[in-house]
Amino acid sequence: MAILRPAGEFDTGYARDMATIRRPWQWWLLLAFILALYTLPFYAGQSLVSLVNRIGITIIAVQGLNLLTGYTGQISLGQAAFMTTGGYISALLVNNLGWSFFAALPVAAMGAGIVGLLFGLPSLRVKGFYLVMATLAAQFIIPWFTRNAFPDVLNGAQGLNVQVPILLGLEFNRPQRYIYITLTVLILTTIVAHNVSRSRLGRAFVAIRDNDLAAEVLGVNLFKHKLQAFFLAAVYAGVAGALAAHNIRHLNSETFNLTDSVFYLGMLVVGGLGSSLGPIFGAIIVELLIEGATLFGPFFIRTFPSTAAGAVQALRPLFFGTALMLFLIFEPRGLAHRWYLLKAAWRLRPFSH
Amino acid sequence: MRKYLLSLLTIMVSISLVLGACAPKPTPTPVPTKVPTATPVPTKAPTATPVPTKGPPDLTGQTITIYHFGDLSGPYAAITAPLIHGAEDAVAAINEAGGLYGATLAIKFADTAGSIDEAVAAYDRFTGEDDNPLVMITYGSGEVEALAQRFAEGKVVNLTAGLSARGFYVDSGYTFGLGPIYPDQIGFVMKFLKENWDTYKPAGAGEEIKLAYLSWPTAFGQGALTDESRAYLADLGIEIVAEEIYDLSPTADTTTAILNGQAAGANVIWTNTLAFGTSVILNDLNALGLRDQFVVCTDNWGMDLATYAFLANPAYGVGLIATFPYLWWTDTDNPGVQYAQQLFEANERTAGEHNVGYLLLIAGVDLAVEAIQHAIDTGGYENLTGEAVHDALIDMSPFEALNGVLRVDFSGGSRSPHTAQIRMIQGGPDAFAVIQNWAEMPDLRPAE
Repeated sequence: MAILRPAGEFDTGYARDMATIRRPWQWWLLLAFILALYTLPFYAGQSLVSLVNRIGITIIAVQGLNLLTGYTGQISLGQAAFMTTGGYISALLVNNLGWSFFAALPVAAMGAGIVGLLFGLPSLRVKGFYLVMATLAAQFIIPWFTRNAFPDVLNGAQGLNVQVPILLGLEFNRPQRYIYITLTVLILTTIVAHNVSRSRLGRAFVAIRDNDLAAEVLGVNLFKHKLQAFFLAAVYAGVAGALAAHNIRHLNSETFNLTDSVFYLGMLVVGGLGSSLGPIFGAIIVELLIEGATLFGPFFIRTFPSTAAGAVQALRPLFFGTALMLFLIFEPRGLAHRWYLLKAAWRLRPFSH
Repeated sequence: MRKYLLSLLTIMVSISLVLGACAPKPTPTPVPTKVPTATPVPTKAPTATPVPTKGPPDLTGQTITIYHFGDLSGPYAAITAPLIHGAEDAVAAINEAGGLYGATLAIKFADTAGSIDEAVAAYDRFTGEDDNPLVMITYGSGEVEALAQRFAEGKVVNLTAGLSARGFYVDSGYTFGLGPIYPDQIGFVMKFLKENWDTYKPAGAGEEIKLAYLSWPTAFGQGALTDESRAYLADLGIEIVAEEIYDLSPTADTTTAILNGQAAGANVIWTNTLAFGTSVILNDLNALGLRDQFVVCTDNWGMDLATYAFLANPAYGVGLIATFPYLWWTDTDNPGVQYAQQLFEANERTAGEHNVGYLLLIAGVDLAVEAIQHAIDTGGYENLTGEAVHDALIDMSPFEALNGVLRVDFSGGSRSPHTAQIRMIQGGPDAFAVIQNWAEMPDLRPAE
């Protein structure tokens, strides 16, 4: 899509040409939004803070998937498995070795990234459905490993109780506190993801996605860049997994499952593949739909007690599936694209058509 | 760029620390019940001794809320829906009868879809809504394990049907069971089998019990096998010859698991699952023609009316043995069971809900209400907190909820019942015959 700018606004240097935020009022708006998020515990209920916390963690996981699937075109159903990896690494470092969570987090991210690399290896030889199958393997192998390997350390199917992060004596043991970790990490991952997409690396990813043969002819090293995409996606998953594990305070092989991986992919479709805003929009919309189904279920079962038990079971996939289907039909480029169209229409007003 | 990032990171960490330290506290610390007389009771007509323990208080106009959350839209939904209805019908009946000292009982439910993440969200929601939550009822082992620490920190009593030993005794303290923990259950049944092996052993089986543990790969499914239960079985001379898993699905294929058990020489199968998990084993055993080679045993959830719904032939259920830590619908001479039956009929519940979930939650609500009442009697309504209910549950023990439908004893540091029956299916639906009456179970709780 062409970048439309108001008349008279020119780029006077390279930095300005690359700027994401171009006007002072946009900076103020962004800062006000961030401030509103950071002060959320002071004016919102615990339930909302907890929900925002969960959405933040989900966005991080989907951002990683966006780098792999949205930009590089490599479909993965293993994101939740890499979250498991990150969660376990962080939990073990904190629980068993006494590390600070804040030191364990980057190590967990790197560990998950390395595991992601292993499962990314088939990407050079296979693509499409075959690659999906290869990544799906991660979703079976990693939970199996956590259940069966090193039972004295990983504690089998029962999993681990995970300690809460502590910084300078402050325990992040409530949503009102934990949200500061989530938000801080989320801002960093968003900056990194956005800048990766604008870098040489991001352009190579897009080239691979659009036509890998042409990309290779142009000098893009397919193997290296595909593995880099897998690594980055798994790093993001590792960060999200570690954050989620310490937030939940418990981790086992069921915590992040195949359904989560499918939902993350769906969030990306709903939000918009290959866009920095896509994961944010997608995660928010789908998490709210899930929350809606969760809140609607008990009401439904009370209203229709004789028939609702089975129907309620279908609410969540029904909500998710319907949203996904509608987006695929009416807005396959996702909410992010709709947002860009809206912005373009605003800039062209009153000649939006 | 790096400089900007570092600066940004430093600023955000600093802001996070300051805001985190200033974050509002959701639950004001309640007054502990151990010093009830220190707080004068605000009665309309002042009396000489403001101790709230004399005479029943009039709590008309007050509301006491019980929270419960479980899987209504995930893999365990089949068992959870009747649990919810049981709890809600029990609460409605108590309110119709005048409530708890005149106070209205309210009950709030949240769906977790079997997800631990959602369970944490439900806990956050409820504790955010209520400054003084007393009791939360939960249903899943995973949820119990994940939330045990939170319940203890928040001093909220958790009455649970998720009977994971870790959830009760590791980083816990406020989690109380509506049934015995799974290690106790497997130990109880295996001890019984060991003592009565000649009566129950399959034709051609040797003198030794060889156990195949075939179950779901979940916290619940693997919940019976702990260090303590393994050691106990070893002491009994029972060898675990196979540990196999199968899918958490009513259509799971257990053929490989069964054949591996057979190849390992097993003559007893234990499955730690719900009714449909037990049924798939029984179906496949019959399909393979191996039913007569194994004694099939299960936890308390595995033997239910719902078992028949998943059996290819009702006769396949015959011979199934299970721990039974409560009475059953057929025990019609018990007033508690009669009461449950009346509620069931009055609320026109469907036949499919005439199962363990509905019955147990009526008993569970009775236990919760009795504990709340005991806490009010002891410390007064003004001092009614989760901690007071926690103390009441211990103080009341041993206690027979719903006229003996459920027997609990939370004394001596135990937070799970230690008595149960053993029953065996010996005919058509509901023919859950008692083969071992109420007896003390082995205490296989992990070290706290």
